[in-house]
Amino acid sequence: MGRNVNRNIKIRIIVFTILALMLVLSAIFADKLCPFDPYQQDLNLAYSAPGLSHIMGTDAYGRDMFSRVIMGSRASILSTLALVGIIAGIGTLIGTICGYFGGLIDSIMMRISDLCLAFPGLVFALAVAAILGGGILNAVLALAVISWPKYSRVARSSTLSIKGTDFVQAAQVTGGSSVYIIFKHIIPNIAGPILVTAMLDIGTMMMELAGLSFLGLGAQPPIAEWGSMMSNGRSMLQTYPWVVLSPGIAIFISVVVFNLLGDTIRDYIDPKMVD
Amino acid sequence: MNITKKMTALVLATLMGMSVMTGCGVANEESKKDENADTGKKVLIFGDTTFNAENEEANINPHDTYCGWPCVRYGVGETLFKFSENMELEPWVAESYENIDDNTWKITIKDGVTFSNGKTCDAQAVKDCFEHLVEVHERAAGDLDIASMEADGNVLTITTNSTKPTLINYLCDPYGCIIDEESSEENGVVVGTGPFVATEVVTDDHVNLVKNENYWNGDVKLDEVKVITISDGDTLALALQNGDIDAAYGMAYASYPLFENDDFVFTSTATSRAFYCQMNYNSPVIKDDAVRKAIAMGIDKEGFVNTLLNGYGYVGKGAFPETFSFGGQNVKSESYDPEGAKKVLEDAGWVDSDGDGIREKDGQTLTIRWISYPSRQELPLLAESAQATLKDIGIDVQLNVTADHGTIVAEKDGWDVYAAAFVTCGIGDPMYFFTTHCLDTSSKNRGGYHSDNIQTLADEMNATYDVKKRGDIAVEMQQEILDDNAFIFCSFLRMSMISKSNLTGLKAWPCDYYEITADLDIE
Amino acid sequence: MKFVIKRLLQLIPILFAITFLSFAMMRIAGSDVVEQKMLNTGQVVSEAQLNAAKAQLGLDKPFLVQYGIWLTKLLHGDMGESYVSGKNVFDTFIEKLPATLFLTVVSIFLTVIISIPLGVVAAINQNKFLDYFIRFFSFLGNSMPNFFVSLLLMYVLGIKLKLFPIISKDASLSTVAMPAITLAIAMSAKYLRQVRATVLDELSKDYIIGAKARGVRFSATLWFSVMRASLVTIITLLALSIGSLLGGTAIVESIFMWDGVGKLAVDAINMRDYPIIQAYVMWMAIIYISVNLVTDLSYRLLDPRIRLEER
Repeated sequence: MGRNVNRNIKIRIIVFTILALMLVLSAIFADKLCPFDPYQQDLNLAYSAPGLSHIMGTDAYGRDMFSRVIMGSRASILSTLALVGIIAGIGTLIGTICGYFGGLIDSIMMRISDLCLAFPGLVFALAVAAILGGGILNAVLALAVISWPKYSRVARSSTLSIKGTDFVQAAQVTGGSSVYIIFKHIIPNIAGPILVTAMLDIGTMMMELAGLSFLGLGAQPPIAEWGSMMSNGRSMLQTYPWVVLSPGIAIFISVVVFNLLGDTIRDYIDPKMVD
Repeated sequence: MNITKKMTALVLATLMGMSVMTGCGVANEESKKDENADTGKKVLIFGDTTFNAENEEANINPHDTYCGWPCVRYGVGETLFKFSENMELEPWVAESYENIDDNTWKITIKDGVTFSNGKTCDAQAVKDCFEHLVEVHERAAGDLDIASMEADGNVLTITTNSTKPTLINYLCDPYGCIIDEESSEENGVVVGTGPFVATEVVTDDHVNLVKNENYWNGDVKLDEVKVITISDGDTLALALQNGDIDAAYGMAYASYPLFENDDFVFTSTATSRAFYCQMNYNSPVIKDDAVRKAIAMGIDKEGFVNTLLNGYGYVGKGAFPETFSFGGQNVKSESYDPEGAKKVLEDAGWVDSDGDGIREKDGQTLTIRWISYPSRQELPLLAESAQATLKDIGIDVQLNVTADHGTIVAEKDGWDVYAAAFVTCGIGDPMYFFTTHCLDTSSKNRGGYHSDNIQTLADEMNATYDVKKRGDIAVEMQQEILDDNAFIFCSFLRMSMISKSNLTGLKAWPCDYYEITADLDIE
Repeated sequence: MKFVIKRLLQLIPILFAITFLSFAMMRIAGSDVVEQKMLNTGQVVSEAQLNAAKAQLGLDKPFLVQYGIWLTKLLHGDMGESYVSGKNVFDTFIEKLPATLFLTVVSIFLTVIISIPLGVVAAINQNKFLDYFIRFFSFLGNSMPNFFVSLLLMYVLGIKLKLFPIISKDASLSTVAMPAITLAIAMSAKYLRQVRATVLDELSKDYIIGAKARGVRFSATLWFSVMRASLVTIITLLALSIGSLLGGTAIVESIFMWDGVGKLAVDAINMRDYPIIQAYVMWMAIIYISVNLVTDLSYRLLDPRIRLEER
């Protein structure tokens, strides 16, 4: 029975990975996939309802919504992946170093992460965005500043638990340098929980990034970004619903896909782990 | 199985609890409305986007920044004269005026005008009010330049330091609301002569008004008015649709189609609130005549007004709308002509040599920094539209639409084009715009524009009392700034208020000063 | 008791760090506070006036001295004045805080009454239709950004069904409903999965199986131990998510025009009203850590095992 469940999970992982890859690829090749220039205005076509030529209709400036939604995946998906990549990387490195060496570095870094955790997430991001000003890069930075401690916590506790194991001690005895041991023995062995945390984080981060843009603190017009597209289209929810719903559904689908993938990977790596 | 049942029951009970709770809320709301119906009181709930500190309307004391606007709009204060639909002066608190000599004016106050506290409003009361005004209000002090005032019964004589041909017009600016100085309170609740009395003023939130039982000018039909601040245009639309408010000022254009039916009525009028671009002469790129000309030719004013503003606006030509005798019909300005604009740039040496769609000259790319702000909903639309049309002619536009625009524009070389909204003819006289924007000493001449001609014409205007002649000079001055492409007038606001169809008497005025009046009624 | 004192002592450096960071952040951002303030009042100022004003505000002193002065004032409840409204920041903040707390409490209440029953039902029906059904909706709720949910609720409940008023000018049960539901949807989606997991865990424990074998009425056992276990889970989660909840209110408040500190902060950010932003960040952090403290303490009351582990 256990084998069956495992096979089931593997199939799910493959399916969801393919779906996620499709999203990422469409973000990377967005400029090739757009049927129209997402920034080309044509006021004569403003507010066209979805139809054959514009399958998601057009917005107030007559721009093709479908092209804008595809182009928006760049700002939304790629920035999110970059964000999660950065915080997972930096957080893990800090956490591993703290766990491995302990002592003063450990205390200092953990106090700093305590401090970051003392501020409620989005509140701190709002403040950082307020200081840095609008812009997608600044929004990513703001979220990065508040999110890395989560990873360093996970990495630190995992490192502590394997520090005492035989193979790490064996490596130390045979004279491996600390850098070598950290990268060769520790990080590969704690990668599981980190990966799970990161995968489950993608959906949340995507929504928070879009939230900042929705408030006008992320992507600035005319950049196509789902959160800001929804924010700009708010007043058209009743009159021209496609302007709001297209990016809304795009966010929803992307978050669903990444969440499903994250859940499945968690089930695979550690069925008992609680998020 | 037993457990499942119990749990299901629990869930159902919870859901029921929730609906009861929320249901109660609704019921409460309805019973509140019923109460009003029972007492037979006529209560108007008016949603407004402008009454907030950001807009410098933190209270309703006319002697405080722009707080005169809500004072006159909400029917608390009244000015000496009011502007008609043609922006001509009509008697209001005052009956008539007389221009004795260049610096002396004699104003006669109407008999029987009283403040809402019952006190008579005579020349002395007006004098006290103005004395306090010029003492605390810098803009008013500069506009009026009063040397002395004398009150004698109903006659107020004002002497100015310099010649002020438009003194009476200035007195009709909202800061000129007559309030009772003796009873004015600290928190911005002032006593005026208007049809309504303010009972509560909360910044950024609401103003509560009740009928002025002692109103000097007829009967007030409504019993209570509650003006609530809803800074967000979308929420305003939803609130009106939902019935939370009876009338709205500042609705988002995209929401207009929702109200184009029998349940609602629109009242609209042309105003002189211009959406214009100001050029920064401190910027080397903008200093190039060809660039300014190309920008003027590269903005699709018609498309902006007809599509992005849903037709609720007027295409701008000159500094004043065509409803004025000295308006845009008398001048020539650049119209949307992308091909022509390309040629202008080409001839001036701006060419796209690297094929990226943006022109360069002497190694400098043609990039302009466009600064604007979001609190006027038209401005972000204009910015994004201009960005696209200017890109077509090879100009790269970098937008910065921020509430923080003041800081950026204050820096001499932090910007190239500033798009803003301004009431160019708020007091019915054309000089106001030029004094504030086009002279070397103007406070809003942010881009360092200078023209010898304008300076001379301005001096001439300041010595001219004849209204017709002032108009002629205004036309000449407009043509001058348009020829220089120092300003681009994109559109004028067609101000609209939307109300439920049972509200009568709501009328939009070109000056945008009068909203809540004694004539408002709910049927 | 010793534990309580220890936890309180630990708070002191954190509080210092929070105030210092809030102060430093806003100093960096609002370096030209005075200029900003004067520009906002529309005055034209000279260099000399500027320097005089800076000196008056103590801005010419060393950074740490400024911090000291600021902190002293802070302890007396003086956080300066808003650049925009000119009003006392502390008073403004305190005035708006109850609305936010009300919203937070109502949404937590909704979350608890949605997620506990649904989580328990899902667990009892593990891998049956009802379980999948509930989990499916929890998944949907988890994948919708709260601003999207807000817009949909406004449209459906406000405009189409006219159940609730759109604008929330006064805090009442009917006005708080939509913003609270928005916040509760995302949270319940997350919590009910945790409750389900906890209940499943609890049900598989020996004592439950034993109780069943002894013929103890299943429902009584379930009620008592399972509820306590899931309550601990919920409290843990609430503590963990109070941060995102407080941040989340910012978006939801500004969409529904809920007159709380979240909307105040978003407006202030748009206006670069640094004193307000500073107050917001600092107080939110303080509220946040206080809630965490209370949670820590309440665990120990609810779950004796934690107390034992500590020894």
